[in-house]
Amino acid sequence: MIDTLRKVLEAALDRLQYHVTTYLPSLLAALTLVLAAYLTAVLVRWVIYRIFKGLTIDKFLRQSGIAFMVDSSGQLRATRLVAESAYWGILLSGVLLGVNVFGTELTTHVIQSLLFLLPKLVVAGLILLAGTWLGHYLGRSMLVWAVNEGFPSPRRLAAVVRILIMFVAVVVAADQLDFARSVFLAAFIIFVGGSVLAASLAVGLGRGRVPRFLEERPEHPGDSAERSLWSHL
Amino acid sequence: MPGKPQVLQPERDLMIDQPLPDDARRAAEVIRRADIVVGIPSYNNGRTIGHVVRAVYAGLAKYYPQLTGVVINSDGGSTDNTQTAVLSSRVEDNHLLLFSTPLLAAHRLSFPYHGVPGKGSAFRLIFQMAKQLDAKACAVVDSDLRSITPEWIDLLVRPILFAGYDLVTPYYQRHKYDGTITNSIVYPLTRMLYGLGVRQPIGGEFGISARLVSRYLEREDWETDVARYGIDIWMTTIAIAEGFRVCQSFLGAKLHDAKDPGSDLTAMLEQVVGSVFMLMQEYKSVWQDRSGCTPAELFGFRFDVGLDPVQVNVERMITSFRAGCHELGEIWALALEKDTLAAVRRLGGCPPDGAESFHLDDELWARVVLDFACAYKKNPVSRGLILRSFTPLYLGRVASFVRETETLVASEVEEKIEQLCLTFQSLKPHLLARWEANSVRSHRPQPPQAPCRRELHEQNLEV
Repeated sequence: MIDTLRKVLEAALDRLQYHVTTYLPSLLAALTLVLAAYLTAVLVRWVIYRIFKGLTIDKFLRQSGIAFMVDSSGQLRATRLVAESAYWGILLSGVLLGVNVFGTELTTHVIQSLLFLLPKLVVAGLILLAGTWLGHYLGRSMLVWAVNEGFPSPRRLAAVVRILIMFVAVVVAADQLDFARSVFLAAFIIFVGGSVLAASLAVGLGRGRVPRFLEERPEHPGDSAERSLWSHL
Repeated sequence: MPGKPQVLQPERDLMIDQPLPDDARRAAEVIRRADIVVGIPSYNNGRTIGHVVRAVYAGLAKYYPQLTGVVINSDGGSTDNTQTAVLSSRVEDNHLLLFSTPLLAAHRLSFPYHGVPGKGSAFRLIFQMAKQLDAKACAVVDSDLRSITPEWIDLLVRPILFAGYDLVTPYYQRHKYDGTITNSIVYPLTRMLYGLGVRQPIGGEFGISARLVSRYLEREDWETDVARYGIDIWMTTIAIAEGFRVCQSFLGAKLHDAKDPGSDLTAMLEQVVGSVFMLMQEYKSVWQDRSGCTPAELFGFRFDVGLDPVQVNVERMITSFRAGCHELGEIWALALEKDTLAAVRRLGGCPPDGAESFHLDDELWARVVLDFACAYKKNPVSRGLILRSFTPLYLGRVASFVRETETLVASEVEEKIEQLCLTFQSLKPHLLARWEANSVRSHRPQPPQAPCRRELHEQNLEV
């Protein structure tokens, strides 16, 4: 009994020794890499803060209006954005290098997948960001136009524009990531086709009402009969 | 008279970036030189332009028979009989003008201009021709005028030729509700910024000296809103800000047809106000140090005239203002200070049956305009959006102004406009502070300043 227990313990210790001798150097190497990456990231973040502060990039972005383009409050700080992006980028690279030290099939597969996907993720993210901004801008333009022209429910019109543009952005981003490509494409076709059909039906069924609405809606002061006598200029 | 084609000087050509159209260049080579060029921009003004051309023609013949005059119609591609009306107009009855000698024929030309469609592009061609012909003075008049007389040409040209002025702006008798962009925005703002009281800075009729024409042509912003309705304030502002001599001429009543049936109020407002704000950025170093107001010299004999009655639908304007308050808050928040936005929203939240007491006061209005000017500077990407969202606010102000002045006579209305100008002036420190800083601050207005001295100088400019 004692002999059996000793054998089991020896086997366990052998396995432990094997794992320690096999993985400890890799683990230490990985930790060293992560630590080095962390220190580098902190250093780079500090340098970027110093350089951007010297170049007054934030002031330039504020004055040129680019800050307001991305963030309507104008509080966006490019220095912080770039510094934090660099920090996390370097840290992530360090972690990936650290994981790569183990050289197992699993870690190699994970790293390959991430490296393959990363550029696509970045592009898809940029597409979504651009879509959000464009939808926001065009939605507001539609809102202003509808209010100035006296159309009813201007917010709904603006929301339709926003949703449409966001939907297009999502379809393009999904296509970029090869994610459910056919599903999104089919949904897009159905959406556009349905919209056209709905518009056609609306115009067809309400053909008597549309001209009446256009006649009855409040005229723009500048478009009325008053204009022959009244000049704004 | 046709003569030897003029050899163009290379330096002079270089200053005109956009070449003259072929037909205009050929005409300039035939005419060679002129003393006075009178330009008439047009677009489908066949109904009124004949009268304008006859008045100009008679004005040149009556007041400047010894000088060579050229009348140029710069057309935006009219599809009616505008060009035919220009070229066929005649002043045949000398007795009408009490002339004992036959009228000397002034040259009459009509060209389509190229480039961005708009009044500014039409003016550009006229200025290019004036420069090409070495004209001593250039005048421009709108083609939709019904009240123009031959005297207008003399009043616009004489201060240039005989008193050394560079820009003559018009001074009209207008209905109290006519020229609302002028009265509520452009006049008070220009006066506050540059310290010169030009009552009709976007009047449409101008006299311009040769050196100011050259200066205009040197500029590189012709392709902006200046090409459209921004041209008038652009001309006036450049002349004032760059130290050219500016005066006014009393022309009597201004009666005219619609400006451009195709253009809408929002676009017009965007172009005019956008041009004012654009020039504010360029001439910040000029206006930041100017304070007070000096009235521009006024020439011509003043007289009272009857004016067409004007019907204004106030309820419709208030409805538009309320819709703006209800829907455009998020966009106005980009431009307006918190206090100003709150005050505007309170006004928009008044019950619809309170339209009788609707009142957008001078200080609130001035703050709105100045906040939009700062937002225009601060937010270049969304400028168009911000300017277009200004329309309901403007209509609210016009509605309030109409309500307040319903029972007032012209002189009392003028006094109200004067008060608005003083309010703008008192808020200049607020503008300066906000212009420099992106952070929202609140400043107390300065105490009311001395009003612009309004003595009228009826000067004698005999040849």
